[in-house]
Amino acid sequence: MEILSNLALGFSIALSPYTLMLAVLGCFIGTIVGALPGLGPSNGVAILIPITFTMGLDATAALVLLTAVYYGAMYGGRISSILLNIPGDEPALMTTLDGYPMAKNGRPGQALVISGFASFWGALFATVMLALVAPALSRVAYQFGPAEYFALYLLAFSTLGGIASNNQAKAAFASCVGLGISVIGLDNFSGLPRMTGGNLHLMDGVDFLVAIVGLFAVSEVFFFIEKHGKGGAVGVKLNKFRVPWGEIWSTRWTQLRCGVVGFIAGVLPGAGASLGSFLTYMMEKNIAGPEGKFGTGVPKGVAAPEAGNNSAAGGALVPMLTLGVPGSGTTAVLLAVLMTLNITPGPTLFTDRPEVVWGLIASLLIANFVLLAMNVPLVRIFVKVLSVPPALLLPGVTMVSFVGIYSLTGGYFDLLLMILFGIMGYVFRKMDIPTVPVILGILLGSNMEDALRRAMVLSDGEWTYLFSSPIAIGLWIFAVAGFIAPVYFRNKIRKPQAVTD
Amino acid sequence: MLKSDRIFGVVVVLGAFAYIASALQTPTSFMSDPVGPKTFPVLLGAVAGLCGLIMVLKPDEEPDWPDFGAVIALAISVVVLIGYAYALKPLGFLIPTAITAGILSYQITPRPLASALTGLGLSVGLFLLFKYVLGLGLVPFPKGWFG
Amino acid sequence: MKLFSAKAVATTAVMMVGSSAMAAECIAPANPGGGWDFTCRQVGKLLYDLGEVDQPVQITNMAGAGGGLAFAHTVAERSDDAELIVAASSATTTRLAQQAYGDATADQVRWVGAIGADPGVIVVAADSPMQNLDDMVEAIKADPGSVAFAGGSAAGGFDHMKPLMVLQSGGFSDITSVKYIGVDGGADAITQTVGGFTQAMTGDMSEIVGFLESGEVRALAVLTEERVPGFEDIPTAMEQGYDVVAVNWRGFYVPKDISDEDFAMWADKIQAVADSDEWAEVRQANGLAPFTKVGPDFQNWVDQVIADTEELSREIGVIE
Repeated sequence: MEILSNLALGFSIALSPYTLMLAVLGCFIGTIVGALPGLGPSNGVAILIPITFTMGLDATAALVLLTAVYYGAMYGGRISSILLNIPGDEPALMTTLDGYPMAKNGRPGQALVISGFASFWGALFATVMLALVAPALSRVAYQFGPAEYFALYLLAFSTLGGIASNNQAKAAFASCVGLGISVIGLDNFSGLPRMTGGNLHLMDGVDFLVAIVGLFAVSEVFFFIEKHGKGGAVGVKLNKFRVPWGEIWSTRWTQLRCGVVGFIAGVLPGAGASLGSFLTYMMEKNIAGPEGKFGTGVPKGVAAPEAGNNSAAGGALVPMLTLGVPGSGTTAVLLAVLMTLNITPGPTLFTDRPEVVWGLIASLLIANFVLLAMNVPLVRIFVKVLSVPPALLLPGVTMVSFVGIYSLTGGYFDLLLMILFGIMGYVFRKMDIPTVPVILGILLGSNMEDALRRAMVLSDGEWTYLFSSPIAIGLWIFAVAGFIAPVYFRNKIRKPQAVTD
Repeated sequence: MLKSDRIFGVVVVLGAFAYIASALQTPTSFMSDPVGPKTFPVLLGAVAGLCGLIMVLKPDEEPDWPDFGAVIALAISVVVLIGYAYALKPLGFLIPTAITAGILSYQITPRPLASALTGLGLSVGLFLLFKYVLGLGLVPFPKGWFG
Repeated sequence: MKLFSAKAVATTAVMMVGSSAMAAECIAPANPGGGWDFTCRQVGKLLYDLGEVDQPVQITNMAGAGGGLAFAHTVAERSDDAELIVAASSATTTRLAQQAYGDATADQVRWVGAIGADPGVIVVAADSPMQNLDDMVEAIKADPGSVAFAGGSAAGGFDHMKPLMVLQSGGFSDITSVKYIGVDGGADAITQTVGGFTQAMTGDMSEIVGFLESGEVRALAVLTEERVPGFEDIPTAMEQGYDVVAVNWRGFYVPKDISDEDFAMWADKIQAVADSDEWAEVRQANGLAPFTKVGPDFQNWVDQVIADTEELSREIGVIE
């Protein structure tokens, strides 16, 4: 068994009391960074680059620390999603949809534990797949050209109609807002600015972190100000907390499916973990149908996106390691770290530097187990957040958001933009316009447009090029099915509770 | 009487027109691609406009808007946050944060002493967290203080 | 290696000027993970390790407007800061030449030195029928749509210019009919080419090293004056009769109003890094070729490059 000897090699490099300590430290920092709105995994990893240098860590130790932060942040993102309805980072966006209702029902602990296990499973599955088939899987990227990517993004948007909203026009409008914002910035094809109003700050477009923090965190603060701290999950009476083994077991198939789908989404260099959590949530929602009561706080609704995004986070390492293509911003930072350690990812990495690859895989496994061990007992502490008086908690969240966004460019412009998004989020939520599609539009819009325009450049404007491969056609079929399924269900059910309460 | 959705719908339609108009102003160079930089935004504007029209024609229930007092509280908060955005760079982290957090806290639960303590505590606590645990290079005070 | 995506999620660790008064600072005008960030971090580390500076160099990431924000910041707020260097590359001068930084012009800062260069390359998939630049140019002359290029920069950017310069030199004038798609970075451009969606990839040497070793791609030409050490089997464009040199240099600019002594001091420090064995190691590991120009020499070279880029950009219609 070659794989076992490889793994043994990996663990012999990565497992020592010292590295274990680093793993715990990394997981801890990662969890905090992930949970704080505005600071995402890429922040955490970026923060550690200088630390690695100043501490003089060797390549292995640095890898262990960094992967621990990477996975830690993926775990941590869900915490603020569930407790505060504020996604800690963008892959945790979908976790708000069922996680927050669960917290409001007095079951935040259960939501955290179920999502923690789902995260564990997703990450574990992805790591194992990474170990088993990464070199082979790297070929998948060669099958995806502009037409295939366009169909993939279309699939993501086609299921938007299924987002909990009572009014399709409003959901569609929200997507248009997001897509419209994604257009802002330097146009990739003409090299000229679009919709920037000549503002230099808008040349790179609107960072979706600014949007996510504004729409969720700042608008949440406005709600608390309006209601003087009443309503919401803060201060909710907590049910007695026991580890909900039964509920975890009941989501086993969901976790399994979402692990697989998330991993595939992650392997495709595109939107990475966010796309993973989005596709898995919508898939499970459609599978569960109207009886699944997605959006009202069901265990499957928190298990699906968390298994999906953690699996995607692992999957994103496949193209990063084997091709040097960073699937997401986070992996881009990780790639940078590898390069500063003089490790150049690419097709020959697995054969040239087995000790790096297997050391990395071993550290991912270590980090994952450390995180599970840390997360379950800590749930009792996390839920204490909800006992903090709103007059302290919400200003705290605001300040954290400001610092996080301020660290993007160190200027006031993004902060003003964030406040603007906060007002927008407040008005939208009042008017029952869902905010999730706005974020998705910003996140995926430019990718989708670029893919379409690349395809048209290559085909000289011939539209049939979009359906020219089996993969593209398959994705189109799923997209159409995903669009129709919620409409079909809608006739049979009462509307789910809106997320925008 | 007019429903909020109708008003909002009209705003959306007007906004969509403005968006399309501004998209049509996008400069193009002559090595442009078959789709061009205008198609996508114009399409989006059209769909958004259509959605606005639907909101005008089929408005939802009236949302429960805040009363006058709450609107004032919200307006104050927005102004304070904007001030904070501008103050952060020249004045350093500690002072603007204490003031802003204190005012926000007061807007949520109007107890002056608790709010003042919240402002102070958050400002110092978060500074320590960001500076020493997360390693962000925050500047505590205005430039020139303490050398 | 270059910016993976202008909109990369990454946010930055360091926010503003630190409180310690006399520490040298290097601004990387991008998020962590790109070429500029790499330049700052590696050179910053070596400056300290070699004893050229007393304290570790502080790295500030200032992403925005493809480097425009950092440029504007340097010009407007730091114009006499002698402790500041800013990472730059061909992308910086290309954008300046194309007026992509608004009103900013290259003479608003001083160009202090380059420490290495990533040679431009044009590669095809291993099974491509094209064997050399002549094949490529002939194919495009016969049918301009038959060869699509993928590169890591937006249309009109440095990667796009490389094949256009080759084609121009080969006597093909209808360069706006050449197909080019800009993707997120060189590695992405290679996967599109290996996957057969585009017929050729234009990028930097460092981006293709791993793929060359694995045998998935073949380089038609390297755009340097001499063959690159370590890659002697790749012919230059010049040997093939195309008078094109395009290297993505890595270097720095400093604020305009610093004294000539400070300027000379930075030039010396950068020279010292460039001459060190440690830098030679880092350079080789990352596929960079030696390329050292400092002080007034570099300043003159940059002026010339910008003038050339401006002319070509006007010809292909990126600027008026």
